[in-house]
Amino acid sequence: MAYIISEDAKELLKDAKEFCQNEIVEQAKQYDITGEWPREIYEKAIEMQLHMMDIPEEYGGLGLSHIDQAAIVEQIAWADAGVAVTLNGNGLALKPVLVAGNEEQKQKCCDIIANGGWGAFALTEPDAGCDAANGKTTAVREGDEYVLNGRKCFITNASVADFFVVTAMTNRTIGTHGMSAFLVYKGTPGLSVGRHENKMGVRCSTTSDLVLDNVRIPVENRLGEEGTGFATAMKTLDLARTWCAVIGVGLAQRCIDEAAAYSKQRVQFGKPICRHQSIEFKLADMEIRTEASRQLCAHAITLADMGMPFSKESAAAKCFSGDSVVQTALDAVQILGGYGYSREYPVEKLLRDAKIFQIFEGTNEIQRMVVGRAVIGKL
Amino acid sequence: MNIFVCVKQVPDDYVEVHLNPTTGTPDVEGIDQVNNAFDTYAVEMAVRAVEAHGGSVTVAAIGPEKCQNGLKNLIAVGANKAVLLSDPALLDLDEAATASALASLIAKCEADQGESFDLIFCGKESTDEISAQVGAMLSETLKAPFVSSVVEVEPVEGGVKAKQETESGYAVYEMALPAVLTVAKPAYDPRYPTIKSKMAARKATIPMLTAADAGAVKQDNRVTCLGYSEPAKRQAGVRIQEKEAADAVAKAVAMMAEAKAI
Repeated sequence: MAYIISEDAKELLKDAKEFCQNEIVEQAKQYDITGEWPREIYEKAIEMQLHMMDIPEEYGGLGLSHIDQAAIVEQIAWADAGVAVTLNGNGLALKPVLVAGNEEQKQKCCDIIANGGWGAFALTEPDAGCDAANGKTTAVREGDEYVLNGRKCFITNASVADFFVVTAMTNRTIGTHGMSAFLVYKGTPGLSVGRHENKMGVRCSTTSDLVLDNVRIPVENRLGEEGTGFATAMKTLDLARTWCAVIGVGLAQRCIDEAAAYSKQRVQFGKPICRHQSIEFKLADMEIRTEASRQLCAHAITLADMGMPFSKESAAAKCFSGDSVVQTALDAVQILGGYGYSREYPVEKLLRDAKIFQIFEGTNEIQRMVVGRAVIGKL
Repeated sequence: MNIFVCVKQVPDDYVEVHLNPTTGTPDVEGIDQVNNAFDTYAVEMAVRAVEAHGGSVTVAAIGPEKCQNGLKNLIAVGANKAVLLSDPALLDLDEAATASALASLIAKCEADQGESFDLIFCGKESTDEISAQVGAMLSETLKAPFVSSVVEVEPVEGGVKAKQETESGYAVYEMALPAVLTVAKPAYDPRYPTIKSKMAARKATIPMLTAADAGAVKQDNRVTCLGYSEPAKRQAGVRIQEKEAADAVAKAVAMMAEAKAI
């Protein structure tokens, strides 16, 4: 099964599939080993405009429906989850601008991406992960400028980004209401990229610290009013979580396809192992989980498109997809047995790629808090 | 430079085709129809030439209405115009009849646009029937110069220079225009469509002409395919299962000697 998409999108999906087969699947294996950021893959993806699917049509975007986009993102994630995470990083950086920015800011950031640039969303700090409101990065107003100081970590695309959306405390005494969001452009004095993470998986994406040392930016770079940064970040994550779940679905589908193909050609006890019920049922569970994840994504996307509340559904999709893909990758390794544990075969990478889906863009513990609070409501 | 590219839709060659045991013909039912790979190289070469030197690329196919889809895909990668000659009378043409119909279609397009084509491109062969004859026959019909298996083309004073791939290397020819070239795999790959160009191309209307519209008179086939046969199946190999490497090597050598291979 798959997303129910338009005829036009079916054609686009064929192109995306051909691109993934020719340019990503084999190439990503080597980049997974070296940890190098595969610039050549991204340059080709940019030519195809796979990096700008989040730009709204009125700002020069492609005019794809979100479900059509999901099918394409899933296909890219099928080929390599890290590539999908990188391309999705642009969407993550654009969302706060689209949520809180003025027309000029929106157009500028969309133009940067449309012209082949990258964006990064910088919320997380060493001591403020799930507890994002506990950030230590500050923004102090001095005349027509803000002076930003602090350190962000685990920032996707930081080392290649042309613009950053940075959250910082403009008032540390009033909790979440003291957080504001700012646009900081590459090359601003005092802005530097720190340590690169040597990650377990999604190694085709780059993740780094971002250091802000007396970074002076004009007041007009503030996104929305002072004190609205936390709300902007939460709205951003509401949307971003579904996309994270979509990527997880693509990765899980790859696990199913690799395991199913292997199970048909591996013969034990005189028959292909897929004819043993223990393996057949495992494949069935992998499929059921993955399709359920996909439909949770589709539902969250549909609600968002209809302008209806979707926070709970997005969190549920991210949480379920994240947990599912880890279990599905474990199952794929189990089906391949010793070969599944070997780097000669593709599924050990899939397992390493899968784990992050329970962690980033809000851990699954945080997703459960979102869902739980929505269920409980006011006491 | 105005370039006309002839395109054939063929069964997706990623899929292994077998003969239908009842009809004895290739069983292509349910296999996606795609643009012949060599024709996509020809389109890319034409689009690059036009990008460098100006002009326009027209892509054309003969076939049923569903061929419009393939032509739209070529508009997405840079073709400026497309036309489909679609007529029940023009099914299952042999190579000469195809060339004749294409020549009529070319004349019709030239009359409609009020200017003639400088170059006619075909893929060097189609990946389904692999006869590699239509381009040559088309040049004969049009009384135009012809070079096969071209991998590079550039304009020169009074015509074009074309680099032909041969079994032993390359040959370079110059010729006056109009000329017919068949295209082999160049040093580059066809571009991917952008999402925007693909979505715009999907909305394009591809004009469909009947044989009468194009002034094409169906020429009777002079070649008849008598039948198809599948390639012989590879015989199962011999397993050498000696436990010791030295024994296995000795056995392999003995077998090769017996077969007079060494």
